[in-house]
Amino acid sequence: MSEVVLKFEKLTKKFGNFTAVNGINLEVHRGETIGLVGPNGAGKTTTIKMIAKILRPNSGRILIRTDQSDLEDLQKVSRTTNQIGFLIDIPAFYNMTAYQLLRYFANLHNYPKDQIDKRINELLELFKLTEWKHEKVKNFSKGMTQKLGIIQALIHNPEIIILDEPQTGLDPLARVEIRRYIRELQSLGKTVFVASHMLYEISEVCDKIALINYGSIIGFDTVENLAHILKTSELNCVLLEPLKPSELESLLKKLTEKLHPYLDHDLDPKISMIPIKYFPEQQGLKIFYDGQNKSKGEILKILIKEFENDFTVISFTQPKTSQLERVYTEMVKNNKLNNGVVRKNGN
Amino acid sequence: MEIRKDYYTGLKPVLYTIVFEVKKQKKKFYVFVGITILIAFLVGYVLMSIPNNLLPDTQLDFFINGLGFILYLTLFAACLFFSGIICSEYSKKTGFIVFPKINKYKLILGKYFGNLTLVVAIITIYYLLLALLGFYYYGGPINTLLFSSYAIAILYVIALSSFVTFFSSFMRSVVVTIIVTFLILFIGFNIADGIVLLVLGDKFEPLYSLSYLGTLITGILHSPFPDPRYVEFTLGGGDGAFGGREFTIGQWITPSIGMGITLLLIYIIGFFLLAAILFKRRQL
Repeated sequence: MSEVVLKFEKLTKKFGNFTAVNGINLEVHRGETIGLVGPNGAGKTTTIKMIAKILRPNSGRILIRTDQSDLEDLQKVSRTTNQIGFLIDIPAFYNMTAYQLLRYFANLHNYPKDQIDKRINELLELFKLTEWKHEKVKNFSKGMTQKLGIIQALIHNPEIIILDEPQTGLDPLARVEIRRYIRELQSLGKTVFVASHMLYEISEVCDKIALINYGSIIGFDTVENLAHILKTSELNCVLLEPLKPSELESLLKKLTEKLHPYLDHDLDPKISMIPIKYFPEQQGLKIFYDGQNKSKGEILKILIKEFENDFTVISFTQPKTSQLERVYTEMVKNNKLNNGVVRKNGN
Repeated sequence: MEIRKDYYTGLKPVLYTIVFEVKKQKKKFYVFVGITILIAFLVGYVLMSIPNNLLPDTQLDFFINGLGFILYLTLFAACLFFSGIICSEYSKKTGFIVFPKINKYKLILGKYFGNLTLVVAIITIYYLLLALLGFYYYGGPINTLLFSSYAIAILYVIALSSFVTFFSSFMRSVVVTIIVTFLILFIGFNIADGIVLLVLGDKFEPLYSLSYLGTLITGILHSPFPDPRYVEFTLGGGDGAFGGREFTIGQWITPSIGMGITLLLIYIIGFFLLAAILFKRRQL
């Protein structure tokens, strides 16, 4: 495993009696993409503000690996900001041109003078903003401003990129683009830390997910591993041809028999009443199984081999988002059961 | 050598911010320069061209007349250039972008010096035009007291800017900061001075008042320097406008040079310290 570049040790932030961040412990390794997921007010932005040194923790500390050293206390390191790029909240800029702003930011980060223009052009091109280089930001759309927000976080080519709700206020197309950029950063070996309440966005791009609720981390792992706490997992199978209504009942019966050992028999009625459902509009099956990786493989084998005369599976996926939503709900529930009260008002 | 390099590296963000701030405030600066030129032209040239309006006897009197507007000019400039210096980072949330990139004190220092450069440039242009007109009417050399007045004007605008910066450090909105500081500087101090004068007369010199300290800009041009600095005028009497009754009104002309400069420096240091303390406690 790669080295730890960012570490939170019992990080706590209080505002009066309200505990916004409650003793967070977390390790981020080089090259990882970590998602910090939680509802609004869970403590995501407060955590990020502490990394950015905009807020001081009440107790605990953040450790960072600077260029030439071991992990050091962020508060004691003066020149760490050059290693991290931040996008905090919805970006707001001075009303200057994109070029003027980016040049100023690059200068502040001490980026080599002779390379600034090249870097600005590269990033503007990557984010398709080249034509807007000399336009004032007041003329930018929300999506363009958000892109500029990401560019300013990357302008000095930092090792660690911290993005707070990067998809907020964006249309679906722009969100897809942002996801693509995050993947591009991953491919460049950057360490990315994304905070969001949008589970889908996070589950699509992150290696690991930290679930935060009322300032506490209630789970930290890959979506797959986090899903182990669930008794039920779901699979989506898209079929090449729609099933004939006349054969549907018998086919579902046969499916239930064949997949019986792997299905979830103690299904939560809130999720579904039956373990296998057919959705004619989507031309697909939803299978609620026991969540084991081995079962997933067996199910696929059975669907292909034993039902080759009935239908052809063209897609077999596990929807991460709904899974993550349920993991999150389950963990919040467990957290409440384990601790009695989740929110502690500073006492 | 290494220490000098570190020192320079530490200063670089401030220098970049000064340059950036100057570019940012360019439009406001041009508008002010236009107004400055217009005022100087009206006061120093158009008014003097009116046949019944006699040109003052001496170059110094011409400067005293011409500088009548400088208090307003500096006051407007200070309010408009410095009111957003801190609070805009919070109200517009631009702080989220810049605070992680630069120490926030260096940022504010850079913004402060950037704006100060522009305001000083505006004052310089006004003095320059006045000096040129003085030369045009009276010939050379330019009375050196004008340079003293210029120095006091710079000190005064720094004091005003530190006062406005202090308000900007805790106010929520730029517009409110402009209105509040403008009301205090333009009306508040003058009302307080009037009341103090009415109640205490020559027993209390209103040295607390920035407006009063500003009178040193023209006061220093008097040759000799006013002594006594408190004068009384009698109005009415006879068959005059007040039904034969006489009114005596007192006025402090200007603070003494030493006291004026000292108090302006205290204003500058005091309000900067207060602004720094409040700014440190303020959270985004």
